[in-house]
Amino acid sequence: MFILSRVVGEGCKIALMLMSFFVATTDAVAHGERAQQAGLRMRAVQWFDTKIEPVNVKINEEIRITGKFVPSKFWPEHMKSPADAAFLNVGVPGPTFIRLDSRVNGVPMIRSTSFELGKTYSYEMRLKARKTGRYHVHTVLSVEGTGPVIGPGAWVEVGGNEGNFENTVKTLTGDNIDLESYGMRNIVVWSTIWFGMGLAWFIYWLLKCPIIVPRFKMVAKLGDKADEMITNGDKKAAAIFLGITLFLIGFGYFWAQEKYPITTPLQTGKVHVPHRHDPGEDKVDVEVIDARYRIPGRSFELTLRVKNKTDQRVQLGNFTIANVRFINSKVLKVKPVDSHDLVASEGLRVEDGMIDANATKEIKVFAEDALWETYRLTSLIYDPDSRFAGMLFFFGDNGDRFHTEVGGPMLPVFM
Amino acid sequence: MTSEKELIDREDLTAVMTLDQQRSVFKNIDLMVIPLIVLLFAGIFSFHFALTVGDWDYWVDWRDRRWWPLVTPLSLIVLPSVFGYLLWTRLRLPLAGTVSIISLALAAWVSRVMNFEVFAGFPLNMVSPSTFIALGLILDCVLLLTRSFFFTGFFGAFLFALLIYPLNWPLMAPFRVPVEYNGILVTVADLMGYEYIRTAMPEYVRIIEHSTLRTFGEAVTPLTAVFAGFLGILSYFFWTWIGHVASKAVWIKRIF
Repeated sequence: MFILSRVVGEGCKIALMLMSFFVATTDAVAHGERAQQAGLRMRAVQWFDTKIEPVNVKINEEIRITGKFVPSKFWPEHMKSPADAAFLNVGVPGPTFIRLDSRVNGVPMIRSTSFELGKTYSYEMRLKARKTGRYHVHTVLSVEGTGPVIGPGAWVEVGGNEGNFENTVKTLTGDNIDLESYGMRNIVVWSTIWFGMGLAWFIYWLLKCPIIVPRFKMVAKLGDKADEMITNGDKKAAAIFLGITLFLIGFGYFWAQEKYPITTPLQTGKVHVPHRHDPGEDKVDVEVIDARYRIPGRSFELTLRVKNKTDQRVQLGNFTIANVRFINSKVLKVKPVDSHDLVASEGLRVEDGMIDANATKEIKVFAEDALWETYRLTSLIYDPDSRFAGMLFFFGDNGDRFHTEVGGPMLPVFM
Repeated sequence: MTSEKELIDREDLTAVMTLDQQRSVFKNIDLMVIPLIVLLFAGIFSFHFALTVGDWDYWVDWRDRRWWPLVTPLSLIVLPSVFGYLLWTRLRLPLAGTVSIISLALAAWVSRVMNFEVFAGFPLNMVSPSTFIALGLILDCVLLLTRSFFFTGFFGAFLFALLIYPLNWPLMAPFRVPVEYNGILVTVADLMGYEYIRTAMPEYVRIIEHSTLRTFGEAVTPLTAVFAGFLGILSYFFWTWIGHVASKAVWIKRIF
């Protein structure tokens, strides 16, 4: 019986292992976007208008990433926020691209900065293709003490010949240098010199082989007089090696000073990004009256009180939550650009959704799609803080777009 | 002189009969043990170095003037001190510094080429290891010349920590050349860190001169070097004592 239970137990373990391998291979091709807790994905950063283009390039060609983001005003209190320190980053598998430029509101992002919660920032990045392959390229906002907050991504295909890759830059001393190989000669030469010195000292002692057992026995025999084992030849060798070592260190230092007379220390520090008012913000105010997620129907229902402060009628066209876009097809036509673009093209339904100019109205919104489950947003009910946040996009009669962030407690409906 | 047949017939059987045979056995022991020791050093030291120094030596844009010349020698001196005590007191061999650091260097180069360059795709000039073999040589030579742990600590360990920056300046200087990038002054190293994307390493993660010692102006490097030197002395004495405690092997005697 015991043996049978052991066999069954081991068999189950092997089966589980094989199954998990099968599941893992079908999904391990992007950046684990679904792995982060649902509430964090909703309440960290609202990314929108993200464009990554072109999606087919060759080595040395550039891709451009543009868009906007809003650090959520519902940022979880237990996490350090971008108001402390943050860095605009990009999610690619290592240096498959190099980053030529990144800016937020026009300010270069080579350093870290901080961002105010609830404010809209425009960003742009230029990357240059370096390695051939197919990569999922993401925007990322890295937040100190919290980690990366991943934004939308797109598949980019890079072709061509990797050997053609070039990355030259001009220094302030007037030299054009290739960053792929710059300084390598120094590294190889000096590392080889020191390897040689170290091996020479090692070989000096190895030539006395056998050294372990005889010396062990001799030390035990001589006791306090064991230092007599060190010969005058050994002392001379040590003095020579020490002298050459100190000389080479000094020589190397002054040689480098002569060759590179102008140097600066590594640069660090934060830059300030001034907030620029976005024309789409603060034009429509929204208050969440009720928010429920109906689990059987995969339907997120919102009751909203909308105050239209513009001089045109507006209606809700897009609800973006955790980078998933639910689209009201009566207002907008949006199709996914690739298999990983998180768009529910007909996922948004609004009851009596037209709001007159300068009017306030209650509307009922339904965001319904299987994406709630496939992107594990339903796991919000397992979070210790059942609150959501998302971005609403209203469209006016004149074609203008207005965005506003909403959030608040969410109740699950199980029946 | 006893004949070989008579030797074999003797009651106290032993495999080693002559001095030549004994020498041959001892050589074989060296042949087996020394490469194992080198491998062992490479493994232990790489692990220890990764956990203590880690990124400070992995990337060219992490080697600042304050933390890299302080953390690195204090981490490096551990194995040379511990094993230096063992090798000197048991074998009178001043080799621990050099051999342990050569082992580390070999393992580091293999790792940087295979992991960082071939697998991850970073240019080798961005991830090459610094050189530390000279420091091990200094420690070993001072130990042999003084035959004293005290003076080795006082002079050897002081130089060990003091000289790490000038030793590596020929490797680092090209990467400290200034560049103007999008209106901001950066070094070549900063620029490489920015351009060659590391998604898990945003700029604020770099610990570059975090402290108030900036009030010393340009004297940051020599000040840090001297401070590291003094800490190196204490560190050497402490780890040599650990070597002394470890070499007693009291627990082996208790087993047998």
